[in-house]
Amino acid sequence: MADPARTPTILAMGGGGFTASPGDPALDELVLELSGRREPRILFLPTASGDPSEQIAAFHTTFGTRAALATVLSLFRRHGDPRSLREIVLAHDVVYVGGGSMRNLMAIWTAHGLDAVLREAWAAGIVLAGLSAGAMCWFAGGITKSFGPPEPTAGLGFLPGSLSVHADGEPERLPSYLEAVRSGALPGGWAADDGVGLVFRGSDLERVVSARPGTGAVRVDAVGGELVRHRITPDLLGAGPLETRPLPDDIKELRRQRYGRG
Amino acid sequence: MSMRPPQIVAFGGGGFSMEAGNPLLDDYVLGATGAARPKVCFIPTASGDADHYIVRFYRRFAAVADTSHVSLFRRDKGAGAVEGNLEAHLLQQDLIYVGGGSVLSLLGTWRAHGLDTILKRAWRRGVLLCGLSAGSLCWFAEAITAFHGPPEPVRGLGLLPHSNCVHYDGEATRGEAFRRMVAAGRLREGYAAEDGAALHFEGRELLRVVSSRPNARAYRVSTDGEHQLSVDYLGQPERAALAVA
Repeated sequence: MADPARTPTILAMGGGGFTASPGDPALDELVLELSGRREPRILFLPTASGDPSEQIAAFHTTFGTRAALATVLSLFRRHGDPRSLREIVLAHDVVYVGGGSMRNLMAIWTAHGLDAVLREAWAAGIVLAGLSAGAMCWFAGGITKSFGPPEPTAGLGFLPGSLSVHADGEPERLPSYLEAVRSGALPGGWAADDGVGLVFRGSDLERVVSARPGTGAVRVDAVGGELVRHRITPDLLGAGPLETRPLPDDIKELRRQRYGRG
Repeated sequence: MSMRPPQIVAFGGGGFSMEAGNPLLDDYVLGATGAARPKVCFIPTASGDADHYIVRFYRRFAAVADTSHVSLFRRDKGAGAVEGNLEAHLLQQDLIYVGGGSVLSLLGTWRAHGLDTILKRAWRRGVLLCGLSAGSLCWFAEAITAFHGPPEPVRGLGLLPHSNCVHYDGEATRGEAFRRMVAAGRLREGYAAEDGAALHFEGRELLRVVSSRPNARAYRVSTDGEHQLSVDYLGQPERAALAVA
């Protein structure tokens, strides 16, 4: 179980990470580091894309040996796990949410009651991480392309502002976002490039990082009906690949004992 | 389009998703449309638009029907999924075939896209609706789902004012929970179908029960227990006789 004294933590990525091409090992590493655990247990929710097999395979490739436990939670297939969704989620240190349709993601989570479970997980200090739809979902709102043209849509509202993603990779999204903030359809917030991660402790932005040189984020606010934009230069993460990090001997032994593998 | 009554064929389980090589239930719904070459649209939402499922649909129906599918996850744009006006497309179909998976994910996604309203309209206009598992439960007012952990009641679209239990033979705990919940008034009275059995409704009333397997059964389940319904086996009668003997 997560430590209730831990600070609620969210990593919201504009894009990138193990489900994207090219991948960003530094972001994948950061996800685990934020848990503060030597033996992080990570849960992947590929709901927003309907559980595509390529995302699931990439998750296992990236975290299968690196994390103490790497679990995929499907909301489409029966997993035969006798535990409730809540029990499964709370038995992890990190919840990683993939991209896809934000509208579908919100609707499906609500139908399964997962919105309440994730709020409980966040409050308990389980790191919530994700990219694209899986990043915007934590905010009051974001820009979805679920129906084709970009438009504002509501998120879970754990974080008070709004987020727009793929600011560099999908340029058609940004004008919709700026207009939504200007008109008040969305509260002020951030637009993040692919490879950029926003780290929140509680509801405060602690740092902005990037795995890709030259990328960044923009803070956007409406002041008296006018847009105020403020460019944020992220801290560039080291690009050390996951698999070259040596695993300490005590961790190897612990894994053999607990999970039957080295 | 000629005026056809609203019809739903709710499989307990079966058709191309579950009964490879047994064409009987799928042939039955094709025939029930009354069209020589029916327009058939597949909705695989409950599976998350699983690619392998969509491929199997086309394998089964492309030769005998004008086929299409709906993708609400937009992974397969340009690959045959309906693009443009979804409502206009669905209202032109003879048959809408809904696949299995999670009924909660199905209903949540449909409501977010307004598909619940469109399907209700299609049904009223005489587009035959069918499906198995989640694609069967969804049409009823109430149903029992056993997707995550123990069986739980779920509220469906309510086109049929009954309750429904699928895979009635395959999962003992689900059937038992269904009878108990109906007896206790937690679920309204309704129907239960085994794999291979299909409940054919005209309007809100059960018209007949058909099956793709000689021994597949279906029941009316009311507060006083289950009552077996008579089932028309769709295969060769002599094979049915043999199977009974």
